[in-house]
Amino acid sequence: MARKISMKQAINEALDLEMRRDPAVIVMGEDIVGGAGSPGEEDAWGGVLGVTKGLHAKYPGRLLDTPLSESAYIGAAIGAAACGMRPVAELMFLDFMGVCFDQILNQAAKFKYMFGGKAKTPVVIRAMVGAGFRAAAQHSQMLTPVFTHVPGLKVVCPSNAYDAKGLLIQAIRDDDPVIFCEHKNLYGHEADVPEEAYAIPFGEAAVVREGKDVTIVSYGLTVHRALEAAERLAKERIEAEVIDLRTLSPIDWDTVLESVETTGRLVVVDEANPRCSIATDVAAHVVQEAFGALKAAPQMVTAPHTPVPFSPVLEDLYIPTADAITAAVSKIAPRAMAA
Amino acid sequence: MGPIVGIIANPVSARDIRRVVANAASLQIADRANIVLRVLAALAACGIEHVVMMPEHGGIRGHVMRGIERSRNQGESRFPHVTHLDMPVTGTAEDSARAARLMHRAGVAAIVVLGGDGTHRAVVKECGRVPIAGISTGTNNAFPEHREPTVTGLAAGLAATGRVPAKVAFASNKRLDVAVGERPAEIALVDVAFVTDSYIGARALWRTETFRELFVTFADPEVIGMAAIAGLIEPVGREEAGGMMVSLAPAATARTVLSAPIAPGLVVPVGIDDWRRMPAGIPFHPHLAAGSVALDGEREIFFDGREPVSVTLTADAFRTVNVPAVMQFAATHGLLRAGASLLATALA
Amino acid sequence: MSTNPFPLDKADLMKAYRTMRTIREFEERLHVEFAKGDIPGFVHLYAGEEACATGIMMHLTDVDRIASTHRGHGHCIAKGVDVHEMMAEIYGKATGACRGKGGSMHIADLAKGMMGANGILGAGAPLVCGAGLAAKFRGDGGVGITFIGDGASNQGMVLESMNLAAVWNLPVIFVVENNGYAESTSVDYATAVDSYVDRASGFGLPGVTVDGTDFFAVYEAAGEMIRRAREGGGPALLECKMVRFFGHFEGDAQTYKAKGENDYNREHRDCLKIFAARVRETGVVTAEEFAAVDQEVGALIEDAVASAKAAPLPSARDLTSDVYVAY
Repeated sequence: MARKISMKQAINEALDLEMRRDPAVIVMGEDIVGGAGSPGEEDAWGGVLGVTKGLHAKYPGRLLDTPLSESAYIGAAIGAAACGMRPVAELMFLDFMGVCFDQILNQAAKFKYMFGGKAKTPVVIRAMVGAGFRAAAQHSQMLTPVFTHVPGLKVVCPSNAYDAKGLLIQAIRDDDPVIFCEHKNLYGHEADVPEEAYAIPFGEAAVVREGKDVTIVSYGLTVHRALEAAERLAKERIEAEVIDLRTLSPIDWDTVLESVETTGRLVVVDEANPRCSIATDVAAHVVQEAFGALKAAPQMVTAPHTPVPFSPVLEDLYIPTADAITAAVSKIAPRAMAA
Repeated sequence: MGPIVGIIANPVSARDIRRVVANAASLQIADRANIVLRVLAALAACGIEHVVMMPEHGGIRGHVMRGIERSRNQGESRFPHVTHLDMPVTGTAEDSARAARLMHRAGVAAIVVLGGDGTHRAVVKECGRVPIAGISTGTNNAFPEHREPTVTGLAAGLAATGRVPAKVAFASNKRLDVAVGERPAEIALVDVAFVTDSYIGARALWRTETFRELFVTFADPEVIGMAAIAGLIEPVGREEAGGMMVSLAPAATARTVLSAPIAPGLVVPVGIDDWRRMPAGIPFHPHLAAGSVALDGEREIFFDGREPVSVTLTADAFRTVNVPAVMQFAATHGLLRAGASLLATALA
Repeated sequence: MSTNPFPLDKADLMKAYRTMRTIREFEERLHVEFAKGDIPGFVHLYAGEEACATGIMMHLTDVDRIASTHRGHGHCIAKGVDVHEMMAEIYGKATGACRGKGGSMHIADLAKGMMGANGILGAGAPLVCGAGLAAKFRGDGGVGITFIGDGASNQGMVLESMNLAAVWNLPVIFVVENNGYAESTSVDYATAVDSYVDRASGFGLPGVTVDGTDFFAVYEAAGEMIRRAREGGGPALLECKMVRFFGHFEGDAQTYKAKGENDYNREHRDCLKIFAARVRETGVVTAEEFAAVDQEVGALIEDAVASAKAAPLPSARDLTSDVYVAY
């Protein structure tokens, strides 16, 4: 039975279902239960934004509040995964990767290859990403490209509650290390979500709107900006196809290429900084693989090459807007079409 | 040049397995260095201008020299001039023995020792008649008394400058000499135990079922370790003539069972078959055919019955600074009153 | 035949000797082979430190996990990783423990509880916290042991891990292999408080320092710590003071060492010699029995080198396999 729930609830439900199904699933992170050792109530927080709230009561002892030591506990999650557990570690903000990156980059990502295939590391690292939360430069970044650059890691970034549940379930069941990026401004976003468990396979993009004139590729929050832009473009008789990548590593090149073969035009929208980003990656791949189909130069709509600013007026300028996407489409759409 | 005082601070004491089996303390290096600084300040206050220290690679030297430099930067003159002996550092008890030998040779007036029973044993082996002032930073510490090191430093300083007469300032101590076949003689300051383990391993003693025979120079019911066993049966003073010997057995088969603190936090049943006083100068031979000899609580020598083993108590074997007596004298004679210092030194 | 005074029976004494001898032979041989130029990359040799790995690993089974360092051959051998596969790996061959993809610094065998040598110093500490956590959840009595050099002990992740292990009361042992040098830098220079036991006590962990050249000292201290950890008594730290016979890596001219230091150590601080002499003098194991092991090990390493040299190289296909379980 599907009903409308928020992305936050969907993530909680995915953890709940997987913890029920598999005793090897444990969850750890800072304040994921909350109030450990404090004089007040237990299970005080359920994560800083309440995503894991209520799970502690259902699975006592399997949600572990950690000291503020990302290297130690992300490493411990990776070590436990290599020893047969299926830990889900919450890094809170992906920006905190700076203090534990070795464990992700040089340990989890490399074990399988470096050990000649004889290891598996089924760890999920959940973390919030993205701007718009007035959280400034160290709590707002879209660092997905840092992780897609690393062989051995899988990178997921859902745009809605339905995908979040199915992708997280897949991430937990997956035998490779997964960086699961949750856009904090989507936690409240609601969608129809079935009650039962279901897994969405990695590497399958979703065509969230069909169109024949231009392909807009995005992921996470900016999928919604792209849809908003497509809506506006439709009024100008430009039919935009919007593709939600859902997983960035692996990435579904087929869906993107097929779409571009039809539309001949590509706009990639990425909340990450512009250099060596998902945007450059998609644009470059399409140019290399479907150059003949392109009718115009691919366009990239990204955050500027700056840290995330604090002041709301600046931060609103930072995130790619529907206006910017519309402008990018207009730049490559034939005048006749736009007229 | 005035009298020189030596300081031997062992960075490796209190690091053995009793941390794991018995929650024993481990005094941190920084704490040991601070103890040295307190002793140095006390020595300087008594007019000691030059102190020579044992070099080590355990971190004490660095901390002490930084502490002195910081004080000097602030314009203070709290500390004497400190130099380190020119000797190789092996990181073993051998360093303490070598430092004591060199200090003895250099004619220091007294040696302040920081360590446990093991460190004091190493120093006593080589210091001859140079009096030592012990500060406990080890595990069992039956030998060095527990006292704020500043006071030990003052007493050592007052004794070293001669402001307290030698007959008051220094106490004589007993020692146990252990001979195993042709091997070099070993000594113990407090106790010699024969145990059935024939390997040195982690050195410390904590498995009571292996204990067989015990010889002690003094038996103090207030100390920790093997000497506590004797102390709880029949106390024998440090300055009393003679020591004591105890026959031990597994608690299950022994005639008497005693609860004794054989290590910090480890109060366990110890089986006792017999005990008697041990006169000085007479060699005693253990009944145990093979096993190891623990000196002051640490397995040091193994033997297998092919070599004769003997233990002899020696009276007046070495000298210590008698801290209570020195401080009492200092009080009675006003040695630390303003203006007293120069006069007293002149009189001495 | 005299009675055995040791805490190990004759079979275990022989096993300990065989392990230490195998490590020694393996490393001495690599030293020779590396100089010939046949071995790619660089290798860090464990010779001189055998008693530490062996004294600890004698207490472990496959359910126990260890995380090693860049100087990992000794840990691998003592934990039961196949010597032929190790040698082939170091030669970069397809038959290697990691199919030639890891090399000397990444030899692993998870089935044996060997979580990998590691090129990132200190990185094993968080990993064994995970191993300890997994053992705790499974209730299998396993322990996690991480080996850390005196240099890596200054890594933040090591200190974080000590705190985490204490907070979660994990069955984890931190073994500091203090050979006095972090590459070429002396421990005196690089470590503000030169006592690793002090670090441990900062986190409320009991810490013990032993002479790492004395197999029995390591064996006994590690045994108490491991037993305690298995029973739920929590983490502990063991510092083994030891000596490195070779340089940081092969080809290191070792000019930073004192003159005669290596000779002195080989003469007076050789853990293998000390062990053999001590055991032989009790008569529990005879000189002939030890010599037979030496011969057997010599043949084993000879064969390992010969088969590694003869083994096939990886194929181009291997470049892109094993990145993911499924992608």
